Amino acid sequence: MKYLRLFICLVAISLTACMSHVFTDTTTRLQVENKTDVMILGVDIISEDGTSVQPWIRDAIEPGEKSKVVEEDWVGTFKVRVRWAKSVIQENRCESVLAKEASDKKTTEVHINKTSMTDCTIRWDDKSYVELDFEGGSQHLIVSQDEDGNVAFKLK
Amino acid sequence: MKISKILLLLAMVAGVAFADPIPAEALTQSGLVMRDRQLRDIGLVMRGGRGGFVDIGYTYTPSSEQLQLKSKYGVHDGFAFRHHYGIFGSWALDSVSHLGFLTWFDRVGWDSQDFFFFPHYGDFAHISSSFTWGFSYTNTKYDVTAALGLQHQNLELASHKVYPNESDSLLFYWAHARYKNVSLQASFYRNTFQTIRLSLDLESRSLYGGVSSGYKTFLPNLSATIYRRKTNGDDDNFVRLNWEQNLYEQVLYADVSFDFPDDGFRSAALKFYPVPSRLLGIEASCLRRQERSGAKDLLWGGAIDLFFLRLGYNTVFDYENMFHAKGTLIAEIKVSLGKIGRDHFGRGGSQPAPMVTTEHKPDLKKILKARAEQQNLGSTSIDAQGNKVIEAKGIRYEKVDGSATQGGN
Repeated sequence: MKYLRLFICLVAISLTACMSHVFTDTTTRLQVENKTDVMILGVDIISEDGTSVQPWIRDAIEPGEKSKVVEEDWVGTFKVRVRWAKSVIQENRCESVLAKEASDKKTTEVHINKTSMTDCTIRWDDKSYVELDFEGGSQHLIVSQDEDGNVAFKLK
Repeated sequence: MKISKILLLLAMVAGVAFADPIPAEALTQSGLVMRDRQLRDIGLVMRGGRGGFVDIGYTYTPSSEQLQLKSKYGVHDGFAFRHHYGIFGSWALDSVSHLGFLTWFDRVGWDSQDFFFFPHYGDFAHISSSFTWGFSYTNTKYDVTAALGLQHQNLELASHKVYPNESDSLLFYWAHARYKNVSLQASFYRNTFQTIRLSLDLESRSLYGGVSSGYKTFLPNLSATIYRRKTNGDDDNFVRLNWEQNLYEQVLYADVSFDFPDDGFRSAALKFYPVPSRLLGIEASCLRRQERSGAKDLLWGGAIDLFFLRLGYNTVFDYENMFHAKGTLIAEIKVSLGKIGRDHFGRGGSQPAPMVTTEHKPDLKKILKARAEQQNLGSTSIDAQGNKVIEAKGIRYEKVDGSATQGGN
């Protein structure tokens, strides 16, 4: 009897081996909000060596706007890169312009991490990504800019 | 709750919390690992070549953060899994000939959701399977076994986002021949060999007609396997030597492996089986991973096998068969049992399990009660005229349905 009870317990526990995903989210529904002065052209996941890119948010996000919600299988810790539009000063106003074609590499994609933006110039360090921990489910990424022009990422 | 239970829970939580993610490259190697392990298992079963053997199990990893996937993009939450079975059965053609059929099946991989039969097929999933089957013939008079069959390796799904291209639906064929305690096993793909293994099972085992004690049980079990490998298009074949050694009364074994010609020491394990039939086991193992230099390269671990549950932590077996999983407690719910004649044994066992005897304790109260009733009911006596008299102690009514005649009873 003792062993039978143990066996039944084991069977009952083992049935949970196909149930965990019912209680945890296995996809992330991401929405990005742009609180900077510069337009965001998209949000990608990039590989460690930077050679592979998987686009996630493909919309261009105007300053102050939110993107569409896009569901992908990214749950875990990944390197996120934001594609920024090139910014220029036009008539004393900071304006984002769409990036040019890839032929002109210097002006197409600006990869930033600890980016600082002052007077419409974007600075970035060697690491061109930020590492974020996606827990799955509905997540809201706020990209903002402080007074010094540093870009901050906040994942809610 | 007892302190021991709290400690057990703590150990399990710690086992999950410090787990390392499994590398994507290890998943692409899973086909090689599965095929080799299945053939090694078949080799063990072919030591007898008759009777039956069954091995069914699956790993139980309940947390999605326990065996995460390390891809070039980062660390993905999800589940590594290994579902497997191996079944061998034979029937006796005559008193010395046995014909057998065997199937071995493994389905392994990683997916973002856990499942039993129907995977989620997530964006970063890698699911592959290996199916080995064949026929065997054993002649006990000459103590020979011959077996041959096919081996299918199927790639069910490998996400192109993180895994390199792999060949799908590969068909291998294999053959196994044994004469007494010498075995030769080979597997081929088209006209090229994949593995060739020569095994010398010198240890005497009472399960296969040997002795259960004495110097013959201390002879080593040796096997040398030539693996065909390609590195960047060049042949990079190597030989793995396994040495299993009985240390004490066929309950304590050492198991060491070396790789030639380059890598040298590969792994070592100390295994304790409380009974020589190997239905239960405890092991401590050490593996050289070829990743770092010096002592840091060694991975120390242990496992406990409780017949239908195996708990392993950093063992060689888990590292190799669960895609280099380490730093986590891996539970496997499984049954592995062999049978020859009336003898039972676990995988690789050297002696049969002691016969299971069931005791029938007589219940005195019941017997006495029954006896008393017998004496009371229907007791006969003889009256003065010498006639037998039956004294009725109760009146029994029998139900009779309406249509039946009332006269009879």
